[in-house]
Amino acid sequence: MSRSEDTKGLVCPRCRSEAIEVLTNSPVKGVWTIYSCKTCIYAWRSTEPEENTNPDKYPESFQLKAEDLAKFPRIPTIPALRRS
Amino acid sequence: MRAFKNLREFLQLLDAEKQLLRISEEVSLEPDLAAAGRAITQLSETSPAIHFNRIKGYNNAQVVLNVHGSWTNQAFMLGMEKDAPLREQFFEFVRRYEQFPGEMERQNSAPWQEVVVDKNVNLFDLMPLFRFNRGDGGFYIDKACIVSCDPDDWNNEDVETVGIYRLQVKGKNRLGIQLVPVHDIAIHLDHAEQQGKDLPIAIAVSNEPIISVAASMSVLYGQSKYKMAAVLQGKPYPVVRTGNGLDVPWGSEYVLEGRILARQREPEGPFGEFPGQYSGGHSYPVVEIDRVSHCKDPIYEALYLGVPWTEMDYMCAVNTCAPMYVQLKKDIPEIVAVSAIFTLGFIVIVSTKRRYGGFAKAVGLRVMTTPHGLGYAKIVIVVDETIDPFDMKQVMWAVSTKVNPAGDVTILPNLCIDLLDPASEPPGITHRMIIDATTPVWPDRRGSFGPELDSPQQTDEWRKKLSAMLKELQK
Repeated sequence: MSRSEDTKGLVCPRCRSEAIEVLTNSPVKGVWTIYSCKTCIYAWRSTEPEENTNPDKYPESFQLKAEDLAKFPRIPTIPALRRS
Repeated sequence: MRAFKNLREFLQLLDAEKQLLRISEEVSLEPDLAAAGRAITQLSETSPAIHFNRIKGYNNAQVVLNVHGSWTNQAFMLGMEKDAPLREQFFEFVRRYEQFPGEMERQNSAPWQEVVVDKNVNLFDLMPLFRFNRGDGGFYIDKACIVSCDPDDWNNEDVETVGIYRLQVKGKNRLGIQLVPVHDIAIHLDHAEQQGKDLPIAIAVSNEPIISVAASMSVLYGQSKYKMAAVLQGKPYPVVRTGNGLDVPWGSEYVLEGRILARQREPEGPFGEFPGQYSGGHSYPVVEIDRVSHCKDPIYEALYLGVPWTEMDYMCAVNTCAPMYVQLKKDIPEIVAVSAIFTLGFIVIVSTKRRYGGFAKAVGLRVMTTPHGLGYAKIVIVVDETIDPFDMKQVMWAVSTKVNPAGDVTILPNLCIDLLDPASEPPGITHRMIIDATTPVWPDRRGSFGPELDSPQQTDEWRKKLSAMLKELQK
């Protein structure tokens, strides 16, 4: 495998978004690439077991929809700004 | 008592004591490293640490797992005999804890300053990050000491805090941090966010073992973790000041300097957590790393976290029991020992003398109102002073023979609990239970308890003699 910057045809295994970017490549050239989903921030390495890299094999219990992200509780609460 | 100057010195000791397995075959980041971390804790309660030096995709990376993952390694960390029973480790830990505070020792330079990366930081190049569990949302740093201070009280070294919080590496220099309101760092972030300013933090990775134990302790706000580490190791704790003005351990392998971005929250998780299930997704704060310093050929230390028992259950055992014991003993001197070693103390076992009937139930209630008990102690089992709460065979004997559910089980409805307790409903609210497994004393006349068996005369002498003979036989 060559050093990859190509994400054509890639789909996020977790949320099926097509907005994928190359996060980084292995320090030793051509061994692995890490991809990241711009929608749900899931990241995976090209050499991981298929359960983590293939949308059709990704376990259903971990799958997400983009709209689920807005429902995540925001912790901790952001305080009011002080008046200077 | 022994102080280790860094992780390498502790690994040398483990190596010499045959408590370090060196894996020289080439391994994949996934699934090999997590699988090995899981498997090593399934073998026994005396499992060694494991060290890898050939990682696919890296030229020179080293990973060490399970450094704290057995009672044997914990005994070495405390400078005790390798087979020191857990009960002895507990009382020795308590003895040191009660010396608090110790001292910080400020140094001007440290080995981790040897290599500095302050442009184009890429954490994936610098550390062999890997996935721990298949449902994790990404790659995590899960055993780092995170240092922060109160921006409203910046020069107060006692409010500078050191904690272990999971960090999701989302970008080359961008992290998510699991930071919940009960953590001291949440106070610091709150003050920074009120000012609209980023909160400076330092992340110290791969440390000598005692600071990880201190960092994961429940202490009071204003009790310095470095001063706690000092008493636990019996020597002032050496620290070095970072460029962003925080103190980090002299012996760290890596130091990451960065900022929690003010007033930002972003999706994080899920992550396989300590109750043995995934945490779910949250929007947590975000960290940007500006600078990484590290030793030459650094060792990356991580912790596999899974269904108990894994390394965390050993690392967060005695350090959970000791503060609770000291706090209880202050009000109830009859208490003999406290075990809160199961899943961070969701179950607590207390052995105590009883002044009068009903006393044990009152002890159970008091456990639930200690600082740690407020978030844990869902079930409290109270046993007689003759029972070792660290020996489950003894505890189960007490529960089997002393408990009549008609009067010995007390259920308290709808109390608070840590949000990560999966059985709580709604999350954070649970019933709690006290199981009184003590022998009733006057005026509690329930049951028909007769004289208990004791050991034949000279059993203690024979035990010592046979133990010595057995050691000789096994040499």
